[in-house]
Amino acid sequence: MEPKSIQEASSILLDDPKAKILAGGTDLLVNMKHRVEVPSVIVNIKRISHLDFIEKKNGAIGIGALTSLKSIYTNPLIGKNLRALTLAASSVGSYHHQSMGTIGGNICQQNRCKYFNQSHWWRSSRPLCFKAGGEICHVVNKKGICYSSYSGDVAPVLLALNAKVILETKTATREIPLESLFSGDGKVPLNLQGGEILREITIPQEASDGFSTYVKIANRESIDFPIVSIALWASMKRKEVRVSFTAVDRRPVRAKGVEDFLGGKELNEETLEEAVGLSSQEATPVKTSLYSPSYKRKVMGLLLKSALKEAMRRAGR
Amino acid sequence: MERELDVVGTRRPMLDAAAKVKGAAQFTDDLTLPGMLYGKILRSPLPHARILTIDTSKAEKLPGVKGVMTGQDIPDRKYGIVPKAKDEYALARDKVRFIGDDVAAVCAIDPEIAEEALELIRVDYEELPAVFDPKEAIEEGAPLVHDDVRGNISASLKKEFGDVESGFGESDFIFEDSFYSQPVNHAPLEPHAALAQYDPLKGELTIWSSTQIPFFLRRNLSTTLLIPESKVRVVKPKVGGGFGGKIDMYAKDFCACWFAMKLGRPVKFVYEREEVFIATRQRHPVYLRVKTGVKRDGMILAQQFRAHVDGGAYNSTAPLIITLLGYFLMIPYRVPNLLYEGYHIYTNKPVGGAMRGHGVPQARFAVERQLDMIAERIGADPAEIRIKNSIHAGEPHPAKFTINTCGFPDTVSKAAEAIGWDEKRGKLPFGRGVGLAGGSFPSGVSNMSHISSGAVVQLGRDGTVNVLTGAADIGQGAETVIAQIVAEELGVPLEDIRVTAADTGITPLDPGTFGSGVTVRAGNAARLAVMSIKKKLFEFVAQKLEANVEDLVAKDRKIFVKGSPDEGIALPVALKAYQYADLPMPIVGRGSWMAPATEPTTLLKEDGDFGPSYSFMTQAAEVEVDPQTGRIRLLKMVAAHDCGRAINPMLVEGQLEGSVVGGMGQALYEEVVTERGQVMNPSFLDYGFPTTMEMPVIETIEVETDDPLGPFGAKEAGEGTQISPAPAILNAIYDAIGVDFTELPVTPEKILKALEEKRAGKKGGVHL
Amino acid sequence: MKHVIALNINGDTYEVLVSPNKTILEVLRDQLGLMGTKRGCDLGVCGTCTVLMDGEPYLSCLTLAMDAVGREILTIEGLSQEGDFDPLQRAFIEKGAVQCGFCTPGMILTAKAILDEEGKPTEESIKKKMAGNLCRCTGYKKIVEAVLSVATQTEREE
Repeated sequence: MEPKSIQEASSILLDDPKAKILAGGTDLLVNMKHRVEVPSVIVNIKRISHLDFIEKKNGAIGIGALTSLKSIYTNPLIGKNLRALTLAASSVGSYHHQSMGTIGGNICQQNRCKYFNQSHWWRSSRPLCFKAGGEICHVVNKKGICYSSYSGDVAPVLLALNAKVILETKTATREIPLESLFSGDGKVPLNLQGGEILREITIPQEASDGFSTYVKIANRESIDFPIVSIALWASMKRKEVRVSFTAVDRRPVRAKGVEDFLGGKELNEETLEEAVGLSSQEATPVKTSLYSPSYKRKVMGLLLKSALKEAMRRAGR
Repeated sequence: MERELDVVGTRRPMLDAAAKVKGAAQFTDDLTLPGMLYGKILRSPLPHARILTIDTSKAEKLPGVKGVMTGQDIPDRKYGIVPKAKDEYALARDKVRFIGDDVAAVCAIDPEIAEEALELIRVDYEELPAVFDPKEAIEEGAPLVHDDVRGNISASLKKEFGDVESGFGESDFIFEDSFYSQPVNHAPLEPHAALAQYDPLKGELTIWSSTQIPFFLRRNLSTTLLIPESKVRVVKPKVGGGFGGKIDMYAKDFCACWFAMKLGRPVKFVYEREEVFIATRQRHPVYLRVKTGVKRDGMILAQQFRAHVDGGAYNSTAPLIITLLGYFLMIPYRVPNLLYEGYHIYTNKPVGGAMRGHGVPQARFAVERQLDMIAERIGADPAEIRIKNSIHAGEPHPAKFTINTCGFPDTVSKAAEAIGWDEKRGKLPFGRGVGLAGGSFPSGVSNMSHISSGAVVQLGRDGTVNVLTGAADIGQGAETVIAQIVAEELGVPLEDIRVTAADTGITPLDPGTFGSGVTVRAGNAARLAVMSIKKKLFEFVAQKLEANVEDLVAKDRKIFVKGSPDEGIALPVALKAYQYADLPMPIVGRGSWMAPATEPTTLLKEDGDFGPSYSFMTQAAEVEVDPQTGRIRLLKMVAAHDCGRAINPMLVEGQLEGSVVGGMGQALYEEVVTERGQVMNPSFLDYGFPTTMEMPVIETIEVETDDPLGPFGAKEAGEGTQISPAPAILNAIYDAIGVDFTELPVTPEKILKALEEKRAGKKGGVHL
Repeated sequence: MKHVIALNINGDTYEVLVSPNKTILEVLRDQLGLMGTKRGCDLGVCGTCTVLMDGEPYLSCLTLAMDAVGREILTIEGLSQEGDFDPLQRAFIEKGAVQCGFCTPGMILTAKAILDEEGKPTEESIKKKMAGNLCRCTGYKKIVEAVLSVATQTEREE
């Protein structure tokens, strides 16, 4: 189906809970081929106009959900003050994924797990996992819970920038902090109410008034999902640091412990070391991929150190 | 070489490069035939189970399904790439032995229906205890993967050369170390595929298969499906990479043929990427234990080597790998006393088979790593210790290899120089290092019954040439190299040559692309075929010019007396005159070539030449390790290769460059990860081999030693190229951070762990 | 339920009957006989299925045919007309950037998109943007050299 408006698209979703949105297709189609997602109907929202934009709106920056990742990282408005977003968008997959993929799609991507992202036949060697419609989670060997990881590149940056998202249905619109979008439940990662569609991302003005970075650790320097990534935003003026990690939990994580500790403090070697020491408590990664949780925790600390050092270097200018 | 060469030794694009850049080159899946059906394979979800019943009735009834088959429908014949080690059914009959084992096949009018039909097949399994670790598999009481193979050891070799006891007795130092080389997938970009067609009137079967071994495939189809070999024709279309993974027969070949014969319609099977990872072959994981005795000055006196090969569920090339692992320990270094023990062990996991180097990379990894460790321990320089121990051409050899040419010491010094050895080794800041590793590989295996190649060359009236060769070009450029050899020998430009290859119905026999023998074997056959043409022509022209046959030369499309190019006859003119002289036209030349062996050699029976010649190589790596994150970057690799003579330097470079990145993948990025026999990363996403972003700077150095047996002096440059990169990289990592890794791959996680242990005072490195 | 759609491929309009879940890769290969676009993994990682959609590199195995309506699709077959060669194709041949040839169409199309977008890309940019096209044969060196050689030509023939 190719609705011409969000309202129309939303109606379809409301009427049919098994309908799935198609944006760039780089997530949905793979999952369809694996048959972990079996939509009753595909709702192609790319024909809806006015969802592909990057605009200044009263100082804040509004980005339409269908804006391609490539449009984002080539946009001077973003490149100027929201460096982390440029870095994150250009680190998603490969050049092809960046041309095809949208920011909305990247935010709303399905969670990942080595037992879930496999073909139908492959998964038949085990009982159907909870996320795929069965009962048990193979990662922790428990019933009724899903530990799949959120592995998107863009969301942690938007979290660190305190971004908001606008969700729209046929009859209503609401704006919520991006953080509230993520449920922390591996099986249903997004808190979307009936028929809700992500329409726009708003990045507040104050986000442009600080240093931001995104550092990704992955097996290769292209194609791969992160093993762990960090998004960091810092304002030396306000002595405020915001930190977010991805691929360490069922949702992108704001490292509140680290943030609280660093808030109001001078950023120096000492505070840096102590902050790094706190980082491994910010999430409990489990073995949803080939990389061990202990390695992920280690990398969280390394990334925080490297991002903070970069922030200090920039401030030093 | 006294004479000047025009075509051999020049950089030429591949003959089919133009078709490939246009997207016009036809790979197996690009072929369609009228009425074609699509096949899919049902695979076992269990690592080890007895098959009780298979109910195909529902699948058969699905509209669009034309055929369903199980192992019971085809003759009770096992197949195998090594005849004496046949242990596999085209479709499982009694048991399934690994997750992915072929159980049944369906063909239908489209692939989706075939997929759907697979799910309608009900298999009743009786699950059996499985074994995944080869060390456990050989223990008393372990489940038997094949009921008739005791202790799960399906092939073993124990061989002593010289007297190791006395060798160790005379050594000043003895070192013993353990190593592990991981399972690696070939990951060719083109998935395995086969298209079969049957002519019921003539009873003739034709199969187009993405294969490296058309003639072996023909033989096996014949013996397994019980059709006369004369009624089977195997045609090799373009092949999108093989690396050894297409040296073997698979369910797709047998089932496509069987369905085609039963239904009288063409049937195509194309494997999904996941199937390539799980159900074809992989590089054998090997546990290696090496004990080496050296003199104070680093001279190797004795070596004891034990290899436990984790073979997976079937044999494939089992006897070959345990032989290659052993015999290539005695080259490029002189090892006067060697005791080798190798075991091929069954486990309920994906099957190991030939992969670029086939055992030699694993063995070489262990030896080259240990040699560096030894050098460190006795205070010797790793480059010098290698040169010191190098064998030399003409030297007697413990396994009776005949070494006619050996450029090894040259490759060591050139590679070392190019990497900046003297300035860098031991001198770079922490985190940066250089290392090198050597190796050697045969140019084709002659130590196996009947490995020979034939060629037919037809000369057109205008002097253009049609070459028929059985050689299987899988993208390495075999056809181009053969064309260059023919062009050179006949004295015509490359553009005048046309090659028809790898069609068992048309071309003469060639064993296929394995053992890195194509250039030497098929190249020599083609050269001999041309020489047989020249003989006829020269006799005729000699008369015409009133000259001696021995004084004639073919060059620049002319035949003339040496030294007088302007007084010769143009080739087309000579041919026309030949025709009018009532001599038999057309002119056809034939040649066959097999590596000479002093005695009839069959595998494991006699010593003797493993191959007609041996290439030698050294690769030197420069790496950068980030001690904070553990991330390793291969900055530069120098590959110095003695390939005798490069028939086409551009293609040789291509082989070296591809091998460097392949070796880098093996060292740093790749591993087939299994959990209880299930491959966890059967995709390009999770099995992460290098992209353009991981590219190192690559410098290639060709060392030419002009081998007497190779066509125009050539030796191999296809497989030996991938022996040294992994140990070179790990040797460089040692130089960078002082940690000895003895296990592949080396990942950032392992680096961090090792550095931690080092800081804590424990000995660095991974121990088994 | 199947639909008839019109697709603009290499400048020609094709009418095909497709079900909603058919990818453009399937249409190209299975219905239109355009075999130059390859199926290496079918999951959008290897890049052998690359086509250009309105000049941008797309993974045709992850693009639904119905979604490609109204776009200008370029496959490798459409790159050069009447037996001639595009400079990229010529460079790949001459630089030895072709071995087995399976990744070649995807590589060339991605390279074309890069050159059309950037004019004179740096080697770094080429490597980054071609990282989504995997190759197992060449080690990438000659491929990057081929693309760079076209990028550094003073005049690119159209």
